[in-house]
Amino acid sequence: MTISRRDLLKYGLGSVAFSLGATQMWGLAAQAAKLAPRQAGRAKILVVVQLSGGNDGLNMVVPYGIGQYYQLRPNIGIPQDKVLKLNQQVGLNPAMGGLHDLFQDGKLAVIQAAGYPSPNRSHFRSIEIWQTADPDKIADTGWLGRYLDIKQGGKDDIFPAVNVDPMLPKTLFGSQVNVPTVSNINDFQFQTDPFYRQDRQSQISAFNDIYASYGLKRPSLDVLQKAGIDANLAADKLHSIVNEYKGSAKYPDGNFGNSLKFISQMISGGLNCTVYGASLDGFDTHTNQVKQQDGLLKQLSDGIAAFYADLKAQKLENDVVLMTFSEFGRRVAENGGRGTDHGTAEPLFLVGGMIKGGVYGDHASLSDLDNGDLKYQVDFRSVYSCLLDKWLDSDSKGILGRRFEDIGFLA
Amino acid sequence: MIQSKSDAFWIRHLLRRAGFNASPDEMDHYQKLGYEAALDELLHPEQVNNEGLEDKIKAQFFDYTDLADLQRWWLYRMTYGRCPLEEKMTLFWHGHFATSNRKVNNVFAMYVQNMLFRKYGLGNFHELLYSVSTDPAMIVWLDNQQNRKGKPNENYAREIMELFTLGIGNYSEQDIKEAARAFTGWQTQAAKFVFNRNQHDFGQKTFLGQTGDFNGDDIVNILVTQPATSKFLAKKLCKFFVADTPSDAMIARIAGVYSSNQFNIRKVLRAIFSDDEFLSEASYHAKIKSPAEYVVGSLKLLQVKNLDPSMPVMMERMGQSLFKPPNVKGWDGGKAWVSTDKMMERFNFAAKITSQRFNEIEKYFGAQQLMQKQGLHNPKEIVNYFLALLVDDDVPETARRRLVEYAGSDISGKPLDGDPDEKTLDAKLRGLVHLIMTLPSYQIC
Repeated sequence: MTISRRDLLKYGLGSVAFSLGATQMWGLAAQAAKLAPRQAGRAKILVVVQLSGGNDGLNMVVPYGIGQYYQLRPNIGIPQDKVLKLNQQVGLNPAMGGLHDLFQDGKLAVIQAAGYPSPNRSHFRSIEIWQTADPDKIADTGWLGRYLDIKQGGKDDIFPAVNVDPMLPKTLFGSQVNVPTVSNINDFQFQTDPFYRQDRQSQISAFNDIYASYGLKRPSLDVLQKAGIDANLAADKLHSIVNEYKGSAKYPDGNFGNSLKFISQMISGGLNCTVYGASLDGFDTHTNQVKQQDGLLKQLSDGIAAFYADLKAQKLENDVVLMTFSEFGRRVAENGGRGTDHGTAEPLFLVGGMIKGGVYGDHASLSDLDNGDLKYQVDFRSVYSCLLDKWLDSDSKGILGRRFEDIGFLA
Repeated sequence: MIQSKSDAFWIRHLLRRAGFNASPDEMDHYQKLGYEAALDELLHPEQVNNEGLEDKIKAQFFDYTDLADLQRWWLYRMTYGRCPLEEKMTLFWHGHFATSNRKVNNVFAMYVQNMLFRKYGLGNFHELLYSVSTDPAMIVWLDNQQNRKGKPNENYAREIMELFTLGIGNYSEQDIKEAARAFTGWQTQAAKFVFNRNQHDFGQKTFLGQTGDFNGDDIVNILVTQPATSKFLAKKLCKFFVADTPSDAMIARIAGVYSSNQFNIRKVLRAIFSDDEFLSEASYHAKIKSPAEYVVGSLKLLQVKNLDPSMPVMMERMGQSLFKPPNVKGWDGGKAWVSTDKMMERFNFAAKITSQRFNEIEKYFGAQQLMQKQGLHNPKEIVNYFLALLVDDDVPETARRRLVEYAGSDISGKPLDGDPDEKTLDAKLRGLVHLIMTLPSYQIC
């Protein structure tokens, strides 16, 4: 069920139970009535993981069966016997055991050579292209922001989507919808002076009463009143979700593992939110690539595997699709610093209970290059359009501007 | 001016808009001057003695190559300087000529650009635009370093028209191509501007209907005189200083001042701050504070003597990271400052400031002293005092009454029986200020 501010105002005013935990801003009655857990199998959820920096696709999905790979990467090429094979031609980086297992269970789809025409190699501009799904002009909204605008359609949801990164990615910029960022759940709470804990309830009560009816006629006052109320509703809801979480999957240490765990908590806690955003940074490997990228890919793989196992334990794996992408892949030949420079096409991962696992498309040619870079085979917007139409039940043509081929990775 | 409100009322409004609000002492100073003289002083920072600020800054030993330090340096200027309009205009130009260190990746260059805005920001727009076109950070930001004869890069040419002067729809793609050619060779080397003759396209160009062997200077000359520029700048300035939707009539008036005063920014600002629309009920408390205004204003009102080093990070989480605007358009402002998480950040900033315990704050929050100094004897007087100070008394009666109820109860929420002890008073004053800082009225200016 969605939490509407208007609905909760009816329950909140005058019925706050002071004796409950200090974090509760609104009565339990309100919660029971309006916040019933999201039922499994109803809404579909998309988790978008941005790999920031330009992930070297060639060392993540390794074309061990193509000779040129080793010729062009004498130092940083992944040895054939270490590769976790997906088929006769490509395999995963050895750090990605978790994802390899998921592949063998048929739950990982690898989309090869995704990109777009006239590739841009600026971090800045290229990530914007992937986030806005507009290679031709600088758009103001993200592809999922536009999806959320349509879905929200003027309704009052507090959590249309949640961004778990410190900064909101342009993917989630909408023209009406406002996606909250909650990167640290501990900070996302109405704080009061720790020296005077007993006074907390008095302050909270005063805040609630004052905000419930603020009769001042100034421009923007409505917006401010709503945001203040929503901030506390949101914090209460998120904290109770985290406190009630009973999963036991083992996530890797670090921000990425924490992000995925938090997202899993929100999904199983019934937040009824369709989109979550997370990111993993550090992929701009111009020098000494192998150690750095291997470490990141291990986090990525272990994190996603734990996330999937967590969802599966709660029978939620069929409700969720997780997608990874980066601003570009990297150049085929290694550079003089045992690293790689900005490139073009890249592989995308899709993970979920309803994903038809497998390797989609051919590997990009390593001989027919565009000035040393891979030529893309699949427009990345085809992946988006499949997700929009078939997973999120939305309007890909309206959101992306035209139709794209159906790659068929969804059951 | 609307006659029904006092000079004092409008001076407070002026300081909130032309500056970042003011401490009680600063406000006293401007009140004694009266509106006209106060406006004069704001418009002429070169005549104000700002030595106190420079001394305070020297004592901090900022590292001008470290971004966080540079952000703190600027916050010090905004909070403790005596030239509020100079800092506010610097912030305006930083948003207008939005350049981010995320790409420039050179903090010292961002410092140099910031000093440029301060130096030229109240002067002539012609000079300002020319200086920006030769600014190393700007050259890197908009890729003019790669703009070469025979292989032009159009980024600067496009943005100088779309974002800095004419606005979209007032030029053609061909104009962009020609302007790009004019700016070829405008490069930076060793943190300085350098005109690379070898990379400059000296040929004939046709730009906005005029033809000549234009160089970048000529493009700047042509752009500043365009009527579209006067309207574009006037609209942006009115949105920044007056209201989110200023009237077309006001924009036209201000555009006229720009055009008939040799693009003099000072004169434009004087016109804005003297305009009936600025001094109207409709503009009063009509804007949402930017994070800079929220944070700096709070520091001034509460007379905080030293900046917490984490201020820039808190501002970033409220949506405004100095020297890192989100994109070439700068910060949208207005409702863009408002979302659940950004509100939570404001509330938590308020909690942090009001729960701090060091000697300087003690002087302010030293409860008994404050009550004595201000002559406050009961919850109602306390609430009235803080509401006047913090939100210009602009709250609904219901909120005022509820705050009195809060202030008149003890720490466990029961109504006070007689005078509170020192501990209760301390808790209540801090809690009261915190609550006021979370109100909708405190988010507006």
